[in-house]
Formats: sequence, structure tokens, C-alpha cells
Amino acid sequence: MEADFAVVAQGIRKRFGAIEALRGLDLSIRVGEIYGLLGPNGSGKTTIIRCVAGLLRPEAGTLSVLGGTPRAAVNSGRVGYMTQAPALYADLSVEENLAFFAALENVPNASQRIEESLRAVDLLDRRRSVVSTLSGGMRTRVSLAATFLNHPSLLLLDEPTVGVDPVLRHQSWARFRRLAAAGITILVSSHVMDEASRCDRLGLIRDGVVLAEGSANELVSRAGTRDLESAFLSLAEAR
Amino acid sequence: MDVRRVRAVAKRIVLGFRRDRRSLGLLFAAPIIVLSLVGAVWGSTTERAPVVAIATDRFAGPPNVIDRFLSSSIIQGRRATFDEGSRQLRDGEADALVWLDGQSAIMHIVIEGSDPLASGTIGTAVQRAFVEGLTALGQVPGPRIVIEQLYGGSDYSLLDYLAPVLVAFFAFFFIFLLSAVSFLRERTTGTLERLMATPLRRGELVIGYLVGFSFFALLQALVILVFTVFVLQVHYRGNLATIFIVEAVLVVGAVSLGLLVSAAARNELQAVQFVPIVLLPQVFLSGLLIPVDQLPDYLRPFSTVLPLTYANEALRSVMIKGYELADPLVLRDIGILVAFGLVMAVGAVASIRREVA
Repeated sequence: MEADFAVVAQGIRKRFGAIEALRGLDLSIRVGEIYGLLGPNGSGKTTIIRCVAGLLRPEAGTLSVLGGTPRAAVNSGRVGYMTQAPALYADLSVEENLAFFAALENVPNASQRIEESLRAVDLLDRRRSVVSTLSGGMRTRVSLAATFLNHPSLLLLDEPTVGVDPVLRHQSWARFRRLAAAGITILVSSHVMDEASRCDRLGLIRDGVVLAEGSANELVSRAGTRDLESAFLSLAEAR
Repeated sequence: MDVRRVRAVAKRIVLGFRRDRRSLGLLFAAPIIVLSLVGAVWGSTTERAPVVAIATDRFAGPPNVIDRFLSSSIIQGRRATFDEGSRQLRDGEADALVWLDGQSAIMHIVIEGSDPLASGTIGTAVQRAFVEGLTALGQVPGPRIVIEQLYGGSDYSLLDYLAPVLVAFFAFFFIFLLSAVSFLRERTTGTLERLMATPLRRGELVIGYLVGFSFFALLQALVILVFTVFVLQVHYRGNLATIFIVEAVLVVGAVSLGLLVSAAARNELQAVQFVPIVLLPQVFLSGLLIPVDQLPDYLRPFSTVLPLTYANEALRSVMIKGYELADPLVLRDIGILVAFGLVMAVGAVASIRREVA
């Protein structure tokens, strides 16, 4: 059972001072699927992603990532994490940034992997450009390329399409789908409901708990509503 | 500890600096400009002989004493009445007014007095000119006093005495500022979070930073030393390599302190606000301006925890007194500076721990 899931979280609690960001959150992400974590700002999406990335330690609950602790999964180099804002070094070129992250993760055949990754995000021709000269959208793509240099088993993408225009957003999702087809499990967060249909399964999150899990169709039929947004509202009220 | 990851962090810093002209300017151009200014201000002996008005209407000594006094090269003497001399003193035309009271046999020297440093120099010059005059007239019996110095000499300018502490201060200041701001950028731009989600360990990150920054810090220390010794032509007695070793351990400690301080700041402005907090106590308590043994008792314990105290002591001992590296005092100071750097580095690692689980 455990082997079928890339991430299993049970009863996760995390508090920041007076604010309880996660209040007993449960979720399970199957190997090879695109799992969308959908919810409004401040619902706990980034907090649970940071827990999965080994950056925050939950105060209660159990969290299994790729069959072990989050930190062990990260240390094994099998987890790629893309932060909400592109985390790149503006003074370095695209290639130098990727070479740096490749070195940290002991990526074999680094130059070949860098080329592959840049081709996947259509930025091979900008490999020598200094990051500070790139547009916001390009930086997001470089940031994404840096996450799959090591052919990870799990990709964590924290609101990767925020502030991205519709054309680029469409291209981004096509890219995520290609990565999933290559066998990578993807956890992607968003607060935009219309991105739900692009995910295999969803977790609707609000006030630090997952209200319901399932495919978009399952959730809509379970709530007995016309669309996902109404399903979300109905599930939130029922709680 | 993975050496490849440490090397990657260090290389990243070196590559980043290559395109960061402002930081490179702060590292290499700024110390040279500041040291040039310091050299221009303190390096040449432009001491002006004080202008002294002698109140002839109140001078109760023989006229030839006045003549001798006025012909001294130590002062620029001029005759005046008491009232005229007083006016000159008030208007800044004279630095001192002198008269000799016959009844009490007291020689009065009135000086302007708003600058205690200048007051001391003027008072001493007037006394020396007067004694010189009396001696020439055969009115002061006794031996002629000749003062010699164990260290330094009459050809030493103020800069020669200040150079050791200035070398330490500038090397410390610029690299501390730069490492604090740079590591802070790592936190504020989100790259630190990204790094912590890789197999990179906190210790490896801090050591990588230390290696990368120390490369520039040592280069800067070398530039400061070469400029001080060969361009400003500051006198030094000790070995240049020993001077560099002291500077090197100081700047590596400054990098560690910068990394630690960046943990307490939320943005670059706050990091800059730490500069006076970290540096001003060291300006006043490390022996830079006032010797540590002349500080009030209750302040001396503070100076013992400041790295510049030990750097100043070691650099003065080596540059002015010619102490060798093997001298126990120099070795002790270097040891304390190394310990300081290690403690700060451990603190920097711990500061990352607090922020990211």
C-alpha cells in the first residue's frame, strides 16, 4: 500500500506563534500522478509543501515521503522543489545556476542533464544569459528546469503558474504533463480553480485541513454540485 | 561533509562577484580611496608652528629673553600688548598669549582651548621655546635632555602609528558588510530555502561561504597591505608575511560574523543598521583610538571580547615593535582570532537551523 504512494500525510499539525497553519491535515499522493492542492491564500498549501520538502518539522502527525522521512527523501536527491518565487542567483548565467544546483545534488553527466532540462523548458538558446536580464516568465522556467536536473521521483511545485499569462500557463501545464508521463510524481499547489481539471487528483484545502480528495469529477459528484468551485464552497460549509 | 558541495557554494560566490561591480568596488576601490585620504591627512608632517603673542607690557623678564623667545623656530612669535594679544587670541589670529608676572614669577600661557589635542601641542611648544631661549642665555643650569624611543622614531608620522589599526579596521569593516548583505540576500531572495531543499547541509553552506568570501577577503587584505606599505610607505619593522597572517585570520572571522549578523536582519537596510552596532564599540574599545589600558576599569572587560582588540595588539606589535610570528603575544592573539572566527561560524550554522527546520 505504502509503495503505491509517494506522499502520505496523517494528522499533520504546524503552528507559527499564535497561528495554527495546519490543523491535522491528511493527504495521500499516488506514485506517478499530478496531485493538485487547491485552496485560497493562507489555507496552508505552502506550509504542507515545505513540510514535504523537509524545510518545516510538523509538531504532530506522520509524514512519509517516498517511503521515508522528508529529510531522507531530500538528501537522496529524489525530490525537486520549486519555490513560489523563482529562487535563482541573478548575477549568474542560466547555465551557471543550473550547474550549481546540479553540483549540490551530485547530478551525474551534469552538462548533458543541464542541456536536457533547458530544452524541456525551451530555454536552450538562453543558456548563457545572465538571469537578471531574463523576463519573469523565463526565470520561472529556469527555476523549474533546476528542479528536475536529477531526474527526481517527486516534484513539489508551489503555485508555479501565479502571475503567468494564459499562453505560458498552458505551456507550463503541458510541461508538467510531460514530466508526469516520464514517471515523476507532481504535487502542485494553486488557488485558481480552473487549473483543477489539469490534475489527476485534487486535495481541496482550507484552514489547514484537506476537506476532500479525489478527481475533479469525483469531488463534484460527491458534493452534488455543478462545478468544482461550488463543490469547494459546499464542502467548506459542511465542515 | 561533501567537499564537492562546499566547492560548489564557494564557486557560486566567486562567479557572482565577477559580475557584481558594486561589491567589487566596495572590496577593492573603497579601501584604497579611504586609505589614500588617511595617508594624505595623517601621512605628511604638516605641523604648523603655533602663533604666539608675547604681551611685552606684562612681561617682567629681561628683553633679551623676549628676543630669544621670538627667534625660536618652534613657535611663530610676535610682540603685542596684553589687550592686542587677547584680541588676536579671540579672533583666531594667535594660538597663545604669553606673559611673565614679575611678582609671582609665574609665566602665564593663555591658549584658545576649544581643541584639547591642539592645546597640549601649543602649551608644550611654548614651554620648549621658552626653555630653549633661557638655556641659550645660560640661565637654566643642568643637563640637556635628549629623548630617544625604543620603537618608532622622529621620522615616524602619525600614520605610521595608526597604520596597523587602520589596516585591521578597514579589512574587517568592508568584508563584514559585504558578507552580511550577501548572505542576507540568500535569505530574502528565497535561494536559502531552495538550498535547504537539496542535500546541501548547513555546515557545508557556511563553510562554502567562508571559503568563497575568504578568497576575496584575503585578496582585499593583500591589497590593503600592499597599498599601505608600498604606496603610503608606512614604516614597518616586522615580517610582511606575519602581518598578512594576522590580517587573514581577522578577515575570516569578519566573514563569519557577517553571516551570523545577517540572521538577525530582515532586509538590507537592517543589515546596514548593524554596522554601527558591531563596529562603533570596536572603534572606541579595541585600542584603535584610546589604548585599552587607558580605558576605565568597567569598560575593559568589553574590549576583551572584541576581535579588533587582538588584531590591533598583534599588528602594532608586529609592525611597530617588530615582533615575530613565534612571539607568544602574537601567537595568543592569532589563536583568539581563530577561536572568534570558529565561534561565529558555529553561530552562523545555528542561525540557519532556527530559520529552516
